[in-house]
This record gives sequence, structure tokens and C-alpha cells, in this order.
Amino acid sequence: MTKVKPSTLRLGIVEMGRLGEIALRVVAANLQAVLGIEVDFLGPHEVPENAYQAHRQQFDAGLILKHLSGCAFPKYPRILALTNLDLCIPILTYVFGEAEMGGRAAVVSGFRLRHNEDGTAVSIDRYYERLAKVALHEVAHTLSLYHCEESLCLMHFSSKVGQLDKLHILFCERCAFMLQTSLRNLAEEFASRHRKKPVKSDKQKAREARPGPSLRS
Amino acid sequence: MMGRIKILVVDDELIVRESLIGWLRKSGYEVQGAEGGRQALEMLKTKEYDLIFLDIKMPDIGGLEVLDRVKADYPYSMAVMITAYASVETAVEAMKRGANDYLMKPFEPEQLTLLVEKLLQQKKLIDENILLREHVATRMRYENLVGSSECMQQLFSLIEEVAKVDSPVLLRGETGTGKELVAKAIHAKSERRYGPFIPINCGAFTESLLESELFGHETGAFTGATRAKKGRLEMAEGGTLFLDEIGEIPLKMQVDLLRVLEEKKFHRVGGAKDIAVDFRLVCATHRNLPREIEQGTFRKDFYFRLNVIEIEVPPLRRRLDDIPALAHHFLDRFRRETNKPVMGIQQKALDLLQSYDWPGNVRELENALERAVVLSKGRHLSRDDFAFIFRSGTTDLSFPNSLKEMEKKHIERILAMCDGNISKAAGLLEVNRTTLHNKIKKYRLKPSDTAS
Repeated sequence: MTKVKPSTLRLGIVEMGRLGEIALRVVAANLQAVLGIEVDFLGPHEVPENAYQAHRQQFDAGLILKHLSGCAFPKYPRILALTNLDLCIPILTYVFGEAEMGGRAAVVSGFRLRHNEDGTAVSIDRYYERLAKVALHEVAHTLSLYHCEESLCLMHFSSKVGQLDKLHILFCERCAFMLQTSLRNLAEEFASRHRKKPVKSDKQKAREARPGPSLRS
Repeated sequence: MMGRIKILVVDDELIVRESLIGWLRKSGYEVQGAEGGRQALEMLKTKEYDLIFLDIKMPDIGGLEVLDRVKADYPYSMAVMITAYASVETAVEAMKRGANDYLMKPFEPEQLTLLVEKLLQQKKLIDENILLREHVATRMRYENLVGSSECMQQLFSLIEEVAKVDSPVLLRGETGTGKELVAKAIHAKSERRYGPFIPINCGAFTESLLESELFGHETGAFTGATRAKKGRLEMAEGGTLFLDEIGEIPLKMQVDLLRVLEEKKFHRVGGAKDIAVDFRLVCATHRNLPREIEQGTFRKDFYFRLNVIEIEVPPLRRRLDDIPALAHHFLDRFRRETNKPVMGIQQKALDLLQSYDWPGNVRELENALERAVVLSKGRHLSRDDFAFIFRSGTTDLSFPNSLKEMEKKHIERILAMCDGNISKAAGLLEVNRTTLHNKIKKYRLKPSDTAS
């Protein structure tokens, strides 16, 4: 398992619903420590109305992502929403989190992480650990990482909390390398897009406004 | 699964399609979507998918109909039916029609993961199986010998064994069975493969010429021998000497050759100097040499010296299953040589080729293919392109004059070829079973007796 080198990239975290400040801080600390990126809290954010699926009494994670990725947080190339809502997607009965593959937004829910498969409640530490693991997994998807076959890697797909508990809170060497490459490329791309254009002087502006020599005699 | 795994998701509901595609892409699969059965079938024409998710209810072409087409045309693709409505009947129907599994929307995450893993594992096994079969198919071409029939596989194994030793080999088999190819294969597989392979057809020379060809001659050995010449025995030094039609060798020369085999040395015609030789001898004959020994036309001691290992090369009529492979092998060759765009052979034409006795064996088949390719006007060889086989003089010389007798004989032969299987024979004869039964009754044929 390998640690990712620090990056200049910033990730914004929004809270949807009520997850609690400590949970937010734990997730942010783990993202900073494992991914080596800057993390900022962007405050609470409303749940998009269309995300609620009345017939399932759940929230469509895909629709939350669409809403998030359209939000204007210009300084943040990646946005993570943390929520206490029960998430699903049209084909799956539930998801712990969802992300746009190589896209901007990810969402993670603590709804199904508080209990074990047999219904017993877990300690608050274990709950925070699960939350951090799912957040790292989903953010890595936004950085174009696929599911990994390495059984202990954070990118290994876990459909149940028991499987999630077995994962290390680190990426395997291969995934760490891919993450690093992806983070570097994203940082360069983001920097070049937001580089300030040189300010033109009044003289330069006047020169450009003057009509050029006419070809007509 | 060669390279990245390819998955097709067919569902008319955009959100379901996007959701499943997105989920599968996260596992690194190459996933594409189709909004209906028609689009899916179009996409399948241009790309092969390892796994296909098919919604059962779609407005244009339903999932079950697409499934039928997938199973018929792309049997190696795995298919999973998906539906929003729980119905045991549709599930059973889908499984009956060959679906690999069945899922009801929405699925449990674990259910989907395990299913995809299980099916891709199965697909991997299928692909490995295909690779193994291809490997066996490459075994069908052994050196230049083509054949996957049991007798040819036995022959290939025997060649492997025989090639390891240096003993003389006698190949027995009818004309045109490919005895020289077997000899070449033995040479190519032996330790002597870097030495020369020297063939000579003993039946193609007069006695004196054969002697000169085999042993060589010194200058002035006979009228016209203005220069010394190496014989085939000398040329074969370090390699393999293949004496075809060994039964044609005159008795006197049999003694000379026996001496060469015993003493490993000889002298050229008209020469006195002993020349040491080291070669492996492979001989071939279509004659019954033991009978020739009885008749005194072949030396017993020479026969035993040659016949250390005896291999029988089977006639083509004993390996009719190899005919399609052989026919395609020759088609490829003649297509290249003649530069004609003949791309294949129709099944009916292959059936016809398999219904013929091939008295001239593989050579006759080779000639038939050459003639058919040269004269063919279509892109695929048809029955008509091979009609000449049954008209040529090489076929059954006792052909009856009466049409009735001819029909009876033809039915008899087809029934024998099909081991008395009426359906198969009716198929080849292009009549229905009832008609064939009536003919059998009419000519008082017994299908079981005709089975060979």
C-alpha cells in the first residue's frame, strides 16, 4: 500500500442534510492525508428536489451528482457531497456513494454505514472510518480510477459494510501511481485554465483600437 | 476475452441504461448502450461483446427476440435478461431460450457484482476452450499433412515416435494418399532435419537410368557419361533418402541396395572407390510386397531390411471427415495461384465431395479442387462445380445403364455413407424421409445392411 504525494489541487466538501461536523472533519482529514490534496468546507447545500424517488423512498445519487457538477465553485475542480440520506441509483437498490467517472462530483452517504449487516450498531470510530473509506473510493473515481482487483485496496468494490471493513485505508501501488498521475494532470490542466491573462496597458489598447493602413488608394 | 472486456447494455429507458453503463465502467469494462433491439442488432454486426444485458420489454424488438438472434449468431456472447416486472414465466422462458442469467430491476449491488464476475469467469473458460480447439485445429495441419480424423491423428503420433529413431521406414498406402508428405514429415521431425531430403520415384526410370540416378556414375561409365555424376545415395548424406514405388526396383538392384544398407558404403557405376554414406531410408509402395515375395518378384531379405517400421497411410475414403479441411486447404492454395476470388465452398458441395469414394485419394481431390477453382464463375464453389467428378471415368466402372438401377445403386451408396441413418441420407439426397422410405421399399433395400 502506497501513500500519494502532495498535490496543489483543492477539493470542496458540501454537506447535504445533516451528517455532523465531526464526520465532515474526519473525512476531510483522511482525504488530505491519503490523497495529499487541500480540502475546504463549502458549507451546507440543498438537496435537489428531483433526487427524491418517492416510490423507493430514497434519493437518486445520479441526479444529485448532475446537480452538484453544475454548481459554480470555480476554485474547486472536484466537489464531494457528504449526506445522511439513503442513496440509490436506478439499477441498484442502494449505494454507499456514487461518483462521476473522471468527472467533477462525488456523493457519499453515512445512512448505511452506522450498522452492520446483522443490524447491530457499530462504534462511532468504525462509522467514521467507513465514511472516510467510501469518500476516498468515490473521489478516486472522479480521478478516473477503476475498481481494483487487489482485495485490500481502497478501490476494491465493496457491496457490503463487512467487505468495506476489511479494506486498508490506503491504495495499492498501482492505484496510488494512477492517482498521482491523474492528480498531477488535473492540477496542470486546472492551473493553465485559470492562469490570469496579462493586463494590457492603455497605450497597448489604444494601439490595437487604431485602424490599420488601408489597401485602397 | 481478448483485451478489454466489452459489454453491451440494451434498454429503452435512458436512466437505467446510463446507470448500468456508469456502474460497469467503474470496473474498467468497455461498455456501450443501445436504446432498443434494432440498434443492438446493428451494433452486434460490427463488434463482438463478451456480455450483453438485455431488457425484456422494449418497443421495437423485444429482448427475447434479440436473445434468439444473439444465441444463433453470436453464441460465445453471454446474455443476461433484465426486467422491471417480476414474472417466473418470463424468467423460465428466457433461460429456456439460452439466457445465461436473469435480473430484476433494481438489483442488489452484491447480486450484480457476483453475477458479472461469474459470467466473465464462464466467458473466460469458453474463450480458453476456443483457444484449445484452435490449438487442436493447428494440429490438423501437421507439417503439410491435413487431417483431424482419428486415423490421421494416430498417424501424426506415429510420425512423432518414428522420427526419434533412425531405423528404415516402409510406408504403405494407395496411390495419391500422400506418402511422400509423410516421408517429408518424418524427415522434418527427425534429428536429420538439417540434412537434405532426397526423393526418387523408382518407377519413373528404366533399370539402367535408375541405377545411375541412385548410385551416380564415373566419367565414361557408359556411352554419354561424359562427366562424373553424384547419385541420390551420395546426395542424401546426412539426411533422408526417400525411395518411392520401391516395389518397382528390379531384383538385381535390390541386392545392390541391400548391400548399401548393410555396409553403409557403395561405389558409383563405373567406379571402384568405396563411398561411405550415412542416410535414413524411407521407402513407399502401393503394392502388396508380401505377395510379391511369394511370387518371387521381391527379395525377402531386402523386404525385412526395409520393413523395420511399417506405416500405413489411410485412403481418403476412410477419412471422409477430413474432406472439408482438405478441400479448404486446396482452395486456399489454388485461389492464391490462380488469383481468382473464390472465397469458399458451399455446404452442399462439401456434402457431395464427402459422398464420393475418391479412388485417386487426396491427389484426386486436389485435382478436383484445382479444376473447380479454375472453371468456377461464382465466389463460392457449388455442387455444379464438382459435377464432373461423377462424370469422369475414374468413378465406378460398373455403372449401370438403366436409370432405375442407377437410382438404386446411388441410394445404396448414400445409405452406406450415412451408416443407414435415414434422415441424414434423405438430407444428402435432397428428398424427404417418406420419399426415401418409399424408394427403400421399392428397391427392397435394407438400410441396416447398407451401413458399413
